[in-house]
Amino acid sequence: MSVWSRLLPFSALTPVAAALICATAALPAWALDYKEPTMLQADVAAGKLPPVAQRLPATPLVEEMDGKTRQVGKSGGDARMLIGRARDVRMISVYGYSRLVGYDEKFELKPDILKSIDVEDDRVFTMHLRPGHKWSDGKPFTSEDFRYWWEDVTNNKDLSPAGPIVDLMIEGELPKVEIIDKETVRYSWSRRNPFFLQRLAGAAPLYIYRPAHYLKQFHAKYADKAALEAKAEEANARSWAELHNRLDTMGHFTNPDMPTLEPWNIATRPPAIRFVAVRNPYFHRVDPKGMQLPYWDRLIVNQADGKLIPAKSAAGEVDVQARNIAFNNFTFLKENEKRSAYRTFLWRTARGSQMALYPNLNANDPVWRELNRDVRFRRALSVAIDRQGINASLYFGLALESNNTVLPDSPLFKEVYQKAWTEFDTKLANKLLDEIGLTKRNPDGVRLLKDGRPLEIIVETSGEDTEQTDVLELIRDNWQKVGIKLFTKPSQREVLKNRIYAGETTMSIWYGLENGIPTAAMSPGELAPLLQDSMQWPKWGQFYETKGQSGEAPDMPAPKELFDLYGEWLNATNDQQRTEIWHKMLKTYTENEFSIGIVSGVPQPVVVGNAVRNVPEEGIYNFDPGAFFGVYRMSSFWFDR
Amino acid sequence: MLIMIPTLFVISALVFGIIKLPPGDFISNRIQELKSQGESGALDKIEFLRQQYGLDRPAIEQYAIWIGVWPKDGQFQGILQGDWGWSMEYNRPVGELVGDRLLLTFIVNFATILFVYVVSFPIGVYSAVRQYSIGDYSFTLLGYLGLATPNFLLALVLLYYSNVHFGLQIGGLFDEQYIDAPWSLAKIQNLMAHLLIPTIVIGTSGTAAMIRRLRANLLDELQKQYVVTGRAKGLPPLRLLIKYPIRMALNPFVAEIGAILRQAVSGSVIVSVVMNLPTSGPMLLAALESQDQYLAGSFLLFLALLTVVGVLISDLLLAVLDPRIRLEGGAQK
Repeated sequence: MSVWSRLLPFSALTPVAAALICATAALPAWALDYKEPTMLQADVAAGKLPPVAQRLPATPLVEEMDGKTRQVGKSGGDARMLIGRARDVRMISVYGYSRLVGYDEKFELKPDILKSIDVEDDRVFTMHLRPGHKWSDGKPFTSEDFRYWWEDVTNNKDLSPAGPIVDLMIEGELPKVEIIDKETVRYSWSRRNPFFLQRLAGAAPLYIYRPAHYLKQFHAKYADKAALEAKAEEANARSWAELHNRLDTMGHFTNPDMPTLEPWNIATRPPAIRFVAVRNPYFHRVDPKGMQLPYWDRLIVNQADGKLIPAKSAAGEVDVQARNIAFNNFTFLKENEKRSAYRTFLWRTARGSQMALYPNLNANDPVWRELNRDVRFRRALSVAIDRQGINASLYFGLALESNNTVLPDSPLFKEVYQKAWTEFDTKLANKLLDEIGLTKRNPDGVRLLKDGRPLEIIVETSGEDTEQTDVLELIRDNWQKVGIKLFTKPSQREVLKNRIYAGETTMSIWYGLENGIPTAAMSPGELAPLLQDSMQWPKWGQFYETKGQSGEAPDMPAPKELFDLYGEWLNATNDQQRTEIWHKMLKTYTENEFSIGIVSGVPQPVVVGNAVRNVPEEGIYNFDPGAFFGVYRMSSFWFDR
Repeated sequence: MLIMIPTLFVISALVFGIIKLPPGDFISNRIQELKSQGESGALDKIEFLRQQYGLDRPAIEQYAIWIGVWPKDGQFQGILQGDWGWSMEYNRPVGELVGDRLLLTFIVNFATILFVYVVSFPIGVYSAVRQYSIGDYSFTLLGYLGLATPNFLLALVLLYYSNVHFGLQIGGLFDEQYIDAPWSLAKIQNLMAHLLIPTIVIGTSGTAAMIRRLRANLLDELQKQYVVTGRAKGLPPLRLLIKYPIRMALNPFVAEIGAILRQAVSGSVIVSVVMNLPTSGPMLLAALESQDQYLAGSFLLFLALLTVVGVLISDLLLAVLDPRIRLEGGAQK
């Protein structure tokens, strides 16, 4: 079966699939003479570990090094980094970024753990494993690990009471999973699933495999019942399922016994404040000279209070650090560069907007609802904001003054999306507001609503981010000039969300689009009323999420259009169609100012020790897609000393 | 003494009630957090966890389970049975988590108490005996500065300068290489070096307060008739001072023990957070933030227990130290 799919002409495949297959056009890995990392030489000599050639898969992944931003390096060294909370040890799996398929630094999907993948029509996904690939404990990684997850974990009533994970469903349909042979697995749906590969490549991915040989000893189907019960009792678990779920820590890195495919596996058992992750001797990537990756022997991850992390970084206590560092730490970090021997790079960020105002189109108050729904009002609010001033006073002019839309790094970027209705123009704002009929003013010069109340907008914040309150201060001054009063009301995330869902807020401030660097193949769902969490149309989102059981059906033409376009995108057959749909959606969304973006592309400072190599000076710092350092391959960072 | 038991019960109910007051629970907090990071994929185990932690039951029942007067899955497993509950954040029994940190907490706070006593006692006595001298004034000034400076600010300033000038690591109680190392002489030395700043920071305001209190008490005593009599009879001044007025002025020192024991766990929370000390304070704060209810609840209950026990100890010690208290107590009976 897999043969005919591979023989299909490329035109029958999506471009993604074509790219994937091209990327696997065999590299001459077999020609390499594999080299043993220094750290492991003693163990190999003592016979505790098989030599490198036997540990690697038959065809390892050869990391490309262009010699400029990425050079062939030296093996060894302990890299130090900091996390704000113990739970953040999972960042090791984000930075390690070992995925079945993963993004490269150009944000194209490439096979990583997989040797290759054949995609037919976005419906049938045939995955080919690397023969001889092994888990970090040396046991083989085969299709059995996929079968185990599918049959015995996600389809097991005790382990997954809610049934198989919804991420795999396309309009309620579960995939057909076939284990073809020891190295081949096929997932297929009758409809298109454009999300499958993206979910596999996620920073917090969908793991569709588990180390079966390890977990089976905790599974009622395989283990001896009495022994398993004793184990559960001993671990203070009330059932075998609880024990299994607790030990199955794929991607969380809280269980050192659990084998991994990542470059480093955790060696520290929590609770701890200092976590050590040690190299996986069976890792599947090598450098062009045949040296097994990762270069770094160990990652030392210390936990410190988030607010201390910039100070500790400036004191030279890290080798590479971006987490818990914000743009306002930049000058402080620069100042200490010499003293503590590091460099500070500025990477671009990928949110559609650093923060955006969300007028609630589902507000309960009828007067406000009507006003929020008037596009002239939203445009007036937008052009009344002096984005240049905000950029200059808070971001040294380094941010982009922009709508909440895609960033210049995205192939879908057009300047008109960034600039529409963002030019600071008090006159235009006044004219628009007058047109709506908000002409009466009270003695303070504040315009009056049609029922005589003053035009006082209460912007609610989650109160977590002082940056948001600072920006609102500046906007307040701007809006005063057009006769609008702004009040900031900080509350708490949970409270705020519930108020928004219930329609009790008139406006709120939150982060912009999650993914500001999409390609046409990525979902435009954020632009359509699909989620209750979308703060401009919570009730419409709820309506879709609950399949019409609660919430309200969209009753405005433009959001309806966005919703329909999203449906079209789901059924689009090629990237050209998808691109067209994306552009239509971006145009409608920005024209209508459904969310009012302020600035975007606020740079992220990245602290990099002077000896550290292969960390690019320019990069994109984003969780998904991006996995922070993941797409830049932390496994090939090294120390030049 | 028996009043302690109902007191603790009332406290436990209050503590649990207050933890439950904010909307949502640990799981819904976690969901929000995951969603805000775009990690909807990690939500697969959420329903399992909600059942496992019993968060789907009414709050009263959760409380009763925690205390151990209501069975969960047919078993009584609560504080009354010696089980402090399960931490959802760390996925580990509370007892196991707290134990690790309590030792360091006690070390830090014991050092602080020692610092407070050692510094404040001689200064307090000196200020009282040499009232309105230059020394008294300068110590008073210092003391007021100590009281008035927010200690987290002091912590930040000292951290920064000790890092820049002495190369001390920012925050923490050990250098990198000692964190996981077994206890050894070198590790203890390392701990000592790192204890200096937290001790000063946590102790400053306490020291200042103690100096003032000791000074005031001693001044009261020094003017009393028996001191004048003693002096008139020709007792050497130092002997007179130590034998009578100081003993009288010692009461606040002892009465403080109750408060100090409680502080040993909670008082230094903010400083510990700022200085990244691996003590119980930061853990308590994080537990409250994430609504890890059993961890936070057990911590707070433990604090209450310490306060109650501390008050008892200081009462007993006072009775030993001061015959007046002993006698008055006896007279009432």
